[in-house]
Formats: sequence, structure tokens, C-alpha cells
Amino acid sequence: MLRSVFNRLIGMAIVMAIVVTVVFIIVRITPGDPAAVMLGPEATAADIAALRDRLGLDDPLPVQFGAYVLDLLRGDLGTSIFLNIPVTEALAQRAEPTFFLTLFSLLIATVIALPVGVLSAYWRGSIFDQMATTLAMFAASVPSFWLGLLLIQFFAVRLGWFDTSGYGGPGAGFFERMHHLVLPAVALGVVSSALITRFTRASMLDVLGDDYVRTARSKGMGEARVVIKHAFKNALIPVLTVIGLTAALLVSGAIVTETVFGLPGVGSLIVSAVLRRDYPVIQGALLVVAGLYVLINFVIDMLYLAVDPRVRF
Amino acid sequence: MRHSARLLAAAAVALLPLSASFSAPALADPVKGGVIDVATIGEPPTLDPMASTADLVGIISQHIFETLYTFDKNWAVTPLLAASLPELSDGGRVYTIKLRTGVKFHDGSVMTSKDVVVSLNRWEKIASRGKQAATNITSIEAVGDDAVKITLKDPYAPLVSLLAFNNAAAIIIPAANADQDPMTTFVGTGPYMLKERKPDRYIQLARFDGYSSPAGESNGYGGQRHQYLDEIRFVPVPDASTRVEGAVAGQFAYTDSLPVESFDRLSSGKSEPVLLKPFGWPVFVMNTKEGLNSDIRVRKAIQAALAPEDMLTAAFGSKDFFSADGAMFPKGYVWHTDAGTDAYKPEGDTEAAAKLLKEAGYDGSKRLRILTSRQYEFHYKMAQVAAEYLKAAGFKVELDVVEWATLTQRRQDPALWDIYITHSPFLPEPSLNGFMSDSSPGWWVSDLKHKVVGAFNAETDPAKRAKLFEDVQKAVYEEAPIYKVGNFNALSAKSPALEGVTPAPWPYFWNAWLKK
Repeated sequence: MLRSVFNRLIGMAIVMAIVVTVVFIIVRITPGDPAAVMLGPEATAADIAALRDRLGLDDPLPVQFGAYVLDLLRGDLGTSIFLNIPVTEALAQRAEPTFFLTLFSLLIATVIALPVGVLSAYWRGSIFDQMATTLAMFAASVPSFWLGLLLIQFFAVRLGWFDTSGYGGPGAGFFERMHHLVLPAVALGVVSSALITRFTRASMLDVLGDDYVRTARSKGMGEARVVIKHAFKNALIPVLTVIGLTAALLVSGAIVTETVFGLPGVGSLIVSAVLRRDYPVIQGALLVVAGLYVLINFVIDMLYLAVDPRVRF
Repeated sequence: MRHSARLLAAAAVALLPLSASFSAPALADPVKGGVIDVATIGEPPTLDPMASTADLVGIISQHIFETLYTFDKNWAVTPLLAASLPELSDGGRVYTIKLRTGVKFHDGSVMTSKDVVVSLNRWEKIASRGKQAATNITSIEAVGDDAVKITLKDPYAPLVSLLAFNNAAAIIIPAANADQDPMTTFVGTGPYMLKERKPDRYIQLARFDGYSSPAGESNGYGGQRHQYLDEIRFVPVPDASTRVEGAVAGQFAYTDSLPVESFDRLSSGKSEPVLLKPFGWPVFVMNTKEGLNSDIRVRKAIQAALAPEDMLTAAFGSKDFFSADGAMFPKGYVWHTDAGTDAYKPEGDTEAAAKLLKEAGYDGSKRLRILTSRQYEFHYKMAQVAAEYLKAAGFKVELDVVEWATLTQRRQDPALWDIYITHSPFLPEPSLNGFMSDSSPGWWVSDLKHKVVGAFNAETDPAKRAKLFEDVQKAVYEEAPIYKVGNFNALSAKSPALEGVTPAPWPYFWNAWLKK
């Protein structure tokens, strides 16, 4: 087991090294110039060249990459060209909305998906099952930003229950900030629920036909107990994997939703950094997101090890 | 019909050029107090208006920082931190600028000529417009505590306009902060001071109690600046659809830069449309340095081929939002003239274009590369229509559609494009336009240009300058370094409770108040 953990850690380090290199190269070969964006439309070529020189953007790429890797090893993600603050600070400032948006979206998704998936499997072929399957297909096909705009129109513009965008003004308390997350969380949660619903249904269908379920029933156990205690518990293992991956997807997948709702999260930071070619922020943010993916996968793998000792990496 | 009626209603808050521009706010008793949220198109790249020419930077920072001069409702230069217009001597080579006294910075210190000299030196080093002026500036000196003297190599009339502009702006900051690059201490003399900035969330400005306003009735950006509001918060809302919904829901007191398609939705009761008419001009910049467009005959063929009426219709839909007008400044501006505009054909002239192209010896083997972006959807729509008209005239056309950051980089390289599309508000001084400079992308350089622009820049008499601008416009049409497509209007929205806001290309909120 220890050897498996060690192998996995080595694999993680290799993946992160590849991510660092690939992100650095992609960011640098993408056309666009942070100096030109920063100086505005009327800036001259000489102004842009001078600013590039000051920002160190004219150094040879290997020199820039070497300096970047050395900084990374010291835990320094660099300084934002536009915000003029360390990237770690920029990420920390934006962590709260992204964290809670992910959490709430995941809660909404699981609260919808688990019961619907279980009941859909239990009543396989019924009208409920057909409706649930159709709605799950629909939710999977709907872009979250489109659903977000519909929610804004109805709940913010027509009913006035929410602000259309933002994360609260100066002095906004915790609950006021969380209030701003309701609509985006619903938009993301509903879309994410589709995948979890389908997995839950499929997984439940697998176990409901298993021998131990039949045995439990033949022993006279109540249906609710059979389904919840025996079938659902066993069906949950693959579903948990999907929930974990959905959580990782939400951290980065909230980019469009954050932009539509004007939320100052990690997603909108990445969007604005890409538009401005703020290289350190793009690199730092993608590194953190990739790190989260790798970490979540590692945790899932470790859970497999714990659940099934036969598993080896 | 309903649309027209709403447009008429919007005319109450519409900005018309010059005489009607900066239309007077509705008469009501101003009320002190209140906080407004202003939705902007995004987070500004910086709050240092010297360091950027972006309009968004100017819109926000003009509340914090002030320049020696600014523009009144007729786009005439008027004093702001200066006590009066400059005294010119030595044939227009020496500008002596008297300063207002007792003006305080947000840190409590009092502005002196030393601060002004050091700030203008920083402007020469950092700001693109400052660098433009610096080539002609010999010295900037303090004259006592309350005046400065700027000595030029040659007479240069646009100097005062450059000192008045709000982006790449000659802001006055405390001498102690002038070494900061990038700026980290945002201390100015403006009516509002920076209280807190949370990037991508808000920029909070609070009334500066020690503010010293210019005297005289409020007049455009000039005259008295009232501070009715306690706070102004600029909130970035990058998604245009969300900005529209925010305006319709009444979430924002003012919402900047909305798509014209949303006009009908903005009379919801919680918002009113604000139409800035006209706002600016889309322009096709020709690469006169390299490639196809280095041949003036090809440029003239393009000029004949394009059909601005159709291009503007595709871009803005209703004629309520554009006009096909070849004059570089619309009617009402002191610079307005029809000189040379015979070459501007609203419907285009494909036959004439094809003939000119043949005379130029174009055989259709080289592609005419149009560099554009969907950052501004109207650029892209105009490019699509233009491409069809150019093809009809015989051009082989290639649309190079990139996002804005890529465009701003590529346009610096003359090998990569033949035409790039941009737009500009109508600037108060023609020399502030990029094509007037030899080094701006497009790189228009010719004897005729140097003759007419040189004469225009050297003349200090305003009436004579207006006359000389006719020659500049004629030269533009004769040599076709740019193609002005027409005039277009800008749409914003305001809350019915917000009073005292004068529609302007760079909206400002001193003088604004909230109805109780």
C-alpha cells in the first residue's frame, strides 16, 4: 500500500511538472501582448517596447522559464502585471466566491440527483423514470450561462429577489455575499445534477439486480430498507467518484457562470487574465486548478485503496 | 412607432454634438448625500491615467485626479487646476501657466508649482501623449510657487489640449509620488478620493472634503464641480447582457456601454436610456507602410468600393443609432467641414473601385487582409459587409478575426495586415487622433500630410486652426490613410432617481445627485 501511495505521489509530481511546462509554453506562444493591452489603444510601438522591457517580457523564453521555475520552487507564483499584487494574494482574494459557489452547486446537484437517480432506477420504465431521464438529458444540454441569464431575468429582474450580478458592495456581510451566490449556484447545480443523476440511476440499476438485494427481500426486509441500506449504499461508491470529479470540474467550470454573474472568483480572474495576457496570473491560476484536479484524483485513488485492498497503482 | 416615441423620450437625456452636447441637467434642487453604483464594462487595467489611453481608465480616474486644463461643453479648453488659460509668448513657444492656489491633495498637502513640474516630467516619461509632446518641449520650470513655464522648440498648438485630456493624462500628483511607476499611491486633487479597490468587485470613491473646486458655473467637464454624492462605486460587469439586466432591474444608478438592441428594454420604469448622439466613429485604418495599401491607388479603390450605409446598418441596425457622414467631425463641432468628402459614397461605387483597382495593376493574387476583432461586434459586422463590397470590386479578401489583445499586438507589425478596424469617440482636438501621428499603426507619412498637419499644429489662433483643418481633411480623403465609416451613437442607462448626469463620452458623476 505504501508503495502504491509513493508511486501515485511520483506520478502527481510528473503531471504537475508537465502542467507547469505546457501552460508556460501555451501562454507565451499565444498572440497578444500584456504591454499593448495595459497601455491602451493609442499607445505607440516605442511605448509598448519600453514597457515589455520593464516587465522582463523581452528576455529569452528559457531565461523566463528558468526564473519562473525557481520562483515556483520557492512557493512564489509571481506578481500580477495588471493588479500589481502577488498572484497568491490575487487567488486568495478570489477563493471565497469560487469555494462557496462550488460547494453550493455541488449541494444542489447532489440533493437533486441522488433521490431522482435512486427513484428513477427503482421505478425503471415508469413515467417518473422517463421524465427524470428526459430532464437530465435537457439539463446536461443546457449551457449554464444561458440558464443563468434566464434565472437573472426571472428572479432578479422580474421578481427583484436578487441582484443581477456582483458579490456585494463595501461592508457586505457573509450572508449578503452568500445571497449573491444563490442564482449562479442554482445555474451550475442544475446542470451538474444531470451527470450525477444518470450515474446514480445506472449504478442503482446494477445493484438492484444483485443477489444480495434479492436475498434481503426474500428475508422479508422492507423495501425502503432494502433500497437505502443495501442497494444505495453499494451504488454510492462509483457515484462518489463522479461527485468528486464534478467538484473539480466546478472549480474551473464556473468560469463562464462567474463572468455572467459578475462574481469576483477564480474563474473570472482567469478570464480577465487571459484577455489581458496577464501571464503570471494565467500560469498561477491554471497551476492551482490543475493541482486541485490532481489532488482530488489522488484522494479518490486513496479511497479506492482503502475500500478495495486488491487495488494497486 | 413605439420605438420612435421612446427615442424621443430618450432625447431628453441625449447628447448632441457641441451646441446641444452636454445638454443641461433637468432643473431640480440638488440633494446632498447618497451612494451610487455605476456599472462599467470591466476592471480597468490601472487607475493611473498617465499610464493608459483606455477610456475606462479615464472615466474612473477623472474623479480622483485632475489636470491643469479640461474641456467645456463646447469642447473648448478651460482651466481646471490652472487659474487661467496659458499666456503665450515668444511666438507661441513659451506657455506660462498660472496655478490656482490653496488646492489640496487627498493627503492634505497643498499643490505647488513643484508638484506640477514633477508631474509633467512624469507625464513626458510615462504617458503616450506626454511623450508625443515631449519631442517638442525644451523645458518645464517653476515660476515661483504658483506658476509654471513650458518652453517649446517650435510652436505647437495642440499642447493645451494634450494637457487637458483625461487619458494618457497630464494629471497633477504630489511630487513625493511622482517616482512611482507603476503608481501605488492614488492621491490626486479630484472631488472624490479612492477609498477601497477590490479588483473585479468594486472601486469605491468617497467625497474629498478638502476639495477645492474651480469657480464658475458648471460647464461640460469645466466650471464648478459639486460633490453631492457621498460615494461613487464603479462596479465591473463585463458581460453586456448582464449589464442590460442590471439596468432594467434598477440595480445600478448608471450603466455604461449597452448594446443598442437593448434600447426598448431600458424604459422599464427602473431605468431610462441615455443616448449619446453622436458618440464616435468607426474607422478602417490602412497600412500605408507595407503591402497592398502602400499603393495610394489601391487605397483609393478601397475608398470607392466601401458602402458605409450598408456597413453601418449591419453594425447598428436602426438609423436611430448611426448616420453615414464622411466629415471627420459631425455638425456642431468647430472642426466640422465637408471639405474633401466628395470621395465618401454612402452607397459605394463598385464600378469606380474596379476601374481604380485595374489602374493600380492589381491582379487579384494578393489578399487584402482585414484585421478585426469580435470584442466589438460592430467591427466584425462592418468587416463582413466591407469584405463583400471589396470582393465585388475585384479584391481577394481575407478576414483575420482575432481577439482584441491579439489585434493590439498584431497591428504594431506592418507585415501582418492591410486594414485594421477600430473606433474612437470624437476627440476634442484633431491632433489627438492616431492618424495625425507618423508613428501610429497605419504609419501615414507624406509630404502633403506634413505640410497640412504642420501648418495646423503650428497655428495658435483657434479660428485659423479651424480653417486649416479643412486642408487636413482634404489630405485624408486625397491620400486615404484611413476610411471613416460614419457616426454612431452610444447607449447607456440611468436610474430615474439619478439627476445632474450630463451624457458625455467619458461620463462623470460630480454634479450628480439622487432624488429623494
